[in-house]
Amino acid sequence: MDIPWIAAQFPQLSGLQRLAQGGQKVVFAAQHASDGDVVLKLLLRASDEQRLEREVLAGQLIECERVPRVFETGELATPLGSCIWLREQRIQGTTLRTRLRSGALDFTSVVRLGVQLLSTLAHAEAKRIVHRDIKPENMILDTSGNFWLLDFGLARHLDLESLTATKMPWGMGTLGYSPPEQMRNRKREIDGRTDLFAAGVLLHECATGANPFRDEARDDLEILRRVEQQAMPRLLLLADRDGRLADLVSVLVQKFPTQRPRTVAEALTWMREIESAHAGTVAGGRTV
Amino acid sequence: MDLHLQFGYGMMDHCRHLVKSWSGGTVILSPRDLERKQLVKLSDEIRALPGGLVLLDPQFYLPRSDHARLTSHDYWPDSYQTNGFFGGPDMHKLMDAVLQLNRDVGAAAFVLPGLLATTIDDDWLGTLRATAERAATMDAGMPLYATVALNAESMRNTAGIQEVLAEFETLNVNGAYLLFEHPNGDYIVQDPIWLANALELSAGLRLLGKTVVVGYANHQLLCLGAASVNAVVSGTWMNVRAFSPDRFRAADEEDQKRKTVWYYDPSSLSEYKPVFLDAALRAGVLAGMAPPAAFGSSYAAALFSGVQPSSVGFGEQDAFRHYLQCLLHQARAARAATFDATVSGLRQVLDSAERQAGMLEKSGVLAGARKFGDGFDPVRSALSALDATRGAMLRRSWATL
Repeated sequence: MDIPWIAAQFPQLSGLQRLAQGGQKVVFAAQHASDGDVVLKLLLRASDEQRLEREVLAGQLIECERVPRVFETGELATPLGSCIWLREQRIQGTTLRTRLRSGALDFTSVVRLGVQLLSTLAHAEAKRIVHRDIKPENMILDTSGNFWLLDFGLARHLDLESLTATKMPWGMGTLGYSPPEQMRNRKREIDGRTDLFAAGVLLHECATGANPFRDEARDDLEILRRVEQQAMPRLLLLADRDGRLADLVSVLVQKFPTQRPRTVAEALTWMREIESAHAGTVAGGRTV
Repeated sequence: MDLHLQFGYGMMDHCRHLVKSWSGGTVILSPRDLERKQLVKLSDEIRALPGGLVLLDPQFYLPRSDHARLTSHDYWPDSYQTNGFFGGPDMHKLMDAVLQLNRDVGAAAFVLPGLLATTIDDDWLGTLRATAERAATMDAGMPLYATVALNAESMRNTAGIQEVLAEFETLNVNGAYLLFEHPNGDYIVQDPIWLANALELSAGLRLLGKTVVVGYANHQLLCLGAASVNAVVSGTWMNVRAFSPDRFRAADEEDQKRKTVWYYDPSSLSEYKPVFLDAALRAGVLAGMAPPAAFGSSYAAALFSGVQPSSVGFGEQDAFRHYLQCLLHQARAARAATFDATVSGLRQVLDSAERQAGMLEKSGVLAGARKFGDGFDPVRSALSALDATRGAMLRRSWATL
């Protein structure tokens, strides 16, 4: 699929540029006459066709501030086969993974990340959707310092039949971010609390620059062993004077969902309290 | 945290006396030890006292029990088949009869029949759900408490404990009546995992908004104050201070045989025979074993009157009442205004008790089988585990628990 061919199929788009190409997915950046900067994703129909459709569905269902807005979807016959396509808002910025290569985030940014990510996940929870792949690669830090959640490719719709075979010993996800119940494919334990675990790991990594489950692990089994058996070290941040963020993160990364906040909404309330307390500290000139 | 009274052998008069003396209190009635008429009569007497309440534990842990009195109650099924009992009319009949008994005794809550879990699995969890769902349809007119009785092996199953909590997330009950079998028949548990799981289950249930009452407890479970447990339940003999399912399998004659009197020293969390109090007198350390005045126990006053303690006639009645009086005070003090203050307070009690017990031991005052000794570190370990898993949540929610 070359750019002139794509341009011919989508005449309302201009300035097409290829952004990424994966196994089943080709992503272009473009400008749209009325919607501005957009991303065009073409998802090849394959054995995972239902999963692709669910990604599109998740994008449409979750209407919130920090998930790129889906403008339009459709189907298209391409030289490579039948595709589902979606055109969504393009977020100008960098992935959190790229940002983390230059070090940890400051405390204010970590708190903002926490509030914005949990707010997004609370929207997903309200629609009975679990993202299941929260990680720095799937977060964009935009030019205004806000955090966006991308890629609902592994999203689980709790009201729809699971697409992961029950007999599979391993679930979908990313080692070192996904919680034990997801990695072990304990499907009936999957709910919003699954994303809370990954959000906790992400917050820890952004606050310290390190992911203790992944860093210097020998192999995947070592990561899995750490996720299942090793407690995440408590956050020790100068700016987190009363340990409130450390407390919340310690709860998010508990091994069993029953030990985490019962809902994402509850975790968000907690995170907002931390934000308010931090704002008060900064306003009072006591930040370090 | 409150203290309830666990009914057991020889407990009737203690219940009446203590509830009166405390200006209120809750007695958990035991069908194993009383016939229906006696249950109703005792309940009437307790409830006639100011603040007197009763709960009734149907003790259906082992449906194939051969205990004559327990199985003579009209709610006990004539036959029991594991397969199908909890899914059909036999369970409905059981529940109807237990509810009627609860009404007859004027129970403050409906403690649901619950099986002893020898394994925490889907089958056992299914029985928990079945009774709760049935109870929810019965218009009981009182709070519903599900019984969670775990054997010693299940108490070590950390993942299983979480499965129980997951079940309770959607169980339509107001509370839980928890029973934990002690490992190896130990009075003082030395297994930190057992204790950590007791704390974890209790805290998890409290954070789900459930009332938690822990039956068959002794002073080691004062640590449950850190889980904001509503009440622990204790009584006279060791067999009502440590849950032992064997007691409900068949009648035993042990109750009547146990005649040793023990004095509970609340400062060392250990119990001593009067002859060792004589040794304490001789060593000049007896005064330090007296309960603080604030505990309000005068039952043991004679022991500290200056004469040989073993000669003052300190008997079973005073020993039991002294124990329960001290435990009431310690239970109520176990929970502080914050989670951190609670844990800190409990650690101080442990540290102080260990020092006291050590000092007494050096003076030749030995507690023997009732010493807390190997129980100190497991409790400390369990408190640390609770802090690691539930501390942040408890810290945040403490005021609302």
